[in-house]
Amino acid sequence: MTMPSAARTARCTSRERTELALRHVEADRVPLDLGGGPVTGIHVGSLYRLRQALGLDEPGTPVKVIEPFQMLGEVAPDLIDALGVDVVGVGLPTNFFGFANEDWKPWTTFDGTPVLVPGGFNTDTSEDGLLMYPQGDTTAPPSARMPRRGFYFDALKRQQPIDDEDLKVEDNLEEFGPITEAELAHVKGEVQRLLPSGKAILGNFGGTGFGDVAFVPGMSLKHPTGIRDIEEWYVSLSLRPGYIYELFDRQCDIGLQNLARIHAEIGDSVTAVLVTGTDFGGQLNSLISPRTYRNLFMPFHARVNDWIHSHTRWKTFIHSCGSIRRLLDDIVEAGFDALNPVQTSAAGMDPSALKQEYGDRITFWGGGIDTQSVLPFGTPAEVRDMVRDRMRVFGRGGGFVFNTVHNVQAGVPVENLLALYQAVNEFRDYPLG
Amino acid sequence: MTVLDELREAVIDGQAKLAVAAATQGLEQGIPAEVLLHDGLIAAMREVGRLFEENEIYVPEMLVAARAMNATVAVLKPRLIEHAVQSSGTVAIGTVQGDLHDIGKNLVAMMLEGSGFEVVDLGTDVPPERFVEAIRAGADVVAMSALLTTTMTSMQDVVEAITAAGLRDQVRIIAGGAPITAKYAARIGADGYAPDASKAVRKVRELLTV
Repeated sequence: MTMPSAARTARCTSRERTELALRHVEADRVPLDLGGGPVTGIHVGSLYRLRQALGLDEPGTPVKVIEPFQMLGEVAPDLIDALGVDVVGVGLPTNFFGFANEDWKPWTTFDGTPVLVPGGFNTDTSEDGLLMYPQGDTTAPPSARMPRRGFYFDALKRQQPIDDEDLKVEDNLEEFGPITEAELAHVKGEVQRLLPSGKAILGNFGGTGFGDVAFVPGMSLKHPTGIRDIEEWYVSLSLRPGYIYELFDRQCDIGLQNLARIHAEIGDSVTAVLVTGTDFGGQLNSLISPRTYRNLFMPFHARVNDWIHSHTRWKTFIHSCGSIRRLLDDIVEAGFDALNPVQTSAAGMDPSALKQEYGDRITFWGGGIDTQSVLPFGTPAEVRDMVRDRMRVFGRGGGFVFNTVHNVQAGVPVENLLALYQAVNEFRDYPLG
Repeated sequence: MTVLDELREAVIDGQAKLAVAAATQGLEQGIPAEVLLHDGLIAAMREVGRLFEENEIYVPEMLVAARAMNATVAVLKPRLIEHAVQSSGTVAIGTVQGDLHDIGKNLVAMMLEGSGFEVVDLGTDVPPERFVEAIRAGADVVAMSALLTTTMTSMQDVVEAITAAGLRDQVRIIAGGAPITAKYAARIGADGYAPDASKAVRKVRELLTV
């Protein structure tokens, strides 16, 4: 099966197309991201079925798990070509669990998907499911678990007793250190490998995601100290704001030094960088108050954005799930260029209203299709209708990079995935229908 | 300010130590534990729920208040048992099979406990049969939580297991979690849905007519 216009002659390269969108200019068509970052990818089970349906692989051909925490699969060049994807990602050599994506070995997921996992993907089976170990070291206490018949890992609680008198920000800084020469060389090598493709490159360098609960538990650390339990973390935003501020301040210093070193190596070869993936929204409202955002998060978001904008040509990308309408004015003011995943199923996140109110100030990098109900549970016709609608609403005047709302999750019917990318390629051309 | 005022204020502000101190002082002054529960904790949690719904407080502040309330319940509980004070009902709560997310579920559990319900927390990744066992052990309400689109379907398995066990008529079932809607809850045969912890308490009260 081929996509309607994925292979059609284009007037722009992928990179030009994406950069025009980020400058709020209508290019030849709406750029498409799939797999550029850890929040714009696809679960390995859904990926396997999509590749099979597109005839890219023989049955039983494994797909690579490039992000084992969320079990995201590799969006390989053949799929990029088939779907007309415009964005590719560059990150550090190690993943959430602290081991490298190398030394691939075969594995099978609970739902029977044949995959390849990194050599450090060493698990034990317990009666509660699969246990995953930091840095692949099975002699250390496990840091994550995938439930039986599950599709993803979640952090295990490894909270040491907290004595507020003894709490030091260094305890929560173990994972934030100067980037190593080996990491810099990896980033540079990846950029050089990807540049000739003409794709837009999204930098996923880490280190500036303040208070991201995907990282707070320290799943890559063998013996994490400080505040590591997610509930305790949220409580700390209210009870220990001084500690949180000081921690973010130190983390910000380290993060900016690392960005400076990365920029010195790769210059402006990346189009955008994922600055933060901290989720600020729930289904109905922001998780934290606008005041907490302004006091604890915004100063550091602004510092990172200001540094990037004054030293590089990179655009800045924020990911936050959920209903964040109450925070959006401040998020825009903090200087972000692109917002992801634009969870349109959450309260106050109506696409037309968002485009009208913020469309000239921020690029919507997401919001292309609802992944909570329509994509997993709707019909192919409903998927198509929503894609057409979202292209028209978000695509007007540029400022839109098509991406599903967050990663394509496990268990999505392949008919819906085919309908999704067929519709993307049918409706992405400017002028929009 | 009376000790009850102090208790309410401490819980609303999330000051666990002050709340426990106020409750302890109240007991020493001879205020019945039941009064401290109803006029102190339950009243405070109603106010916390109102503040949350009106966007005066958010998740961190609500968690802190719920923890303060929880610490106080621990102080009052022995006295309540001693005086055979009836709870408003027993709620068995859990995150459904395949799902390990529990912050929302824990918040609902704490809010229910502070509102005078007996709470049996079944934890996360709970198979349907454990909800069934909890009903056999006396639960009046089953409260199910799910965060993922891949696990919300397990809720239907729970309802079906309860029905197959012949227990459907003697229990009320509620569902919640990010992808859950009232429509979905109705479709799988649950009795109710709540979008947040405060409304979950209200829904349980409504279903048990307490």
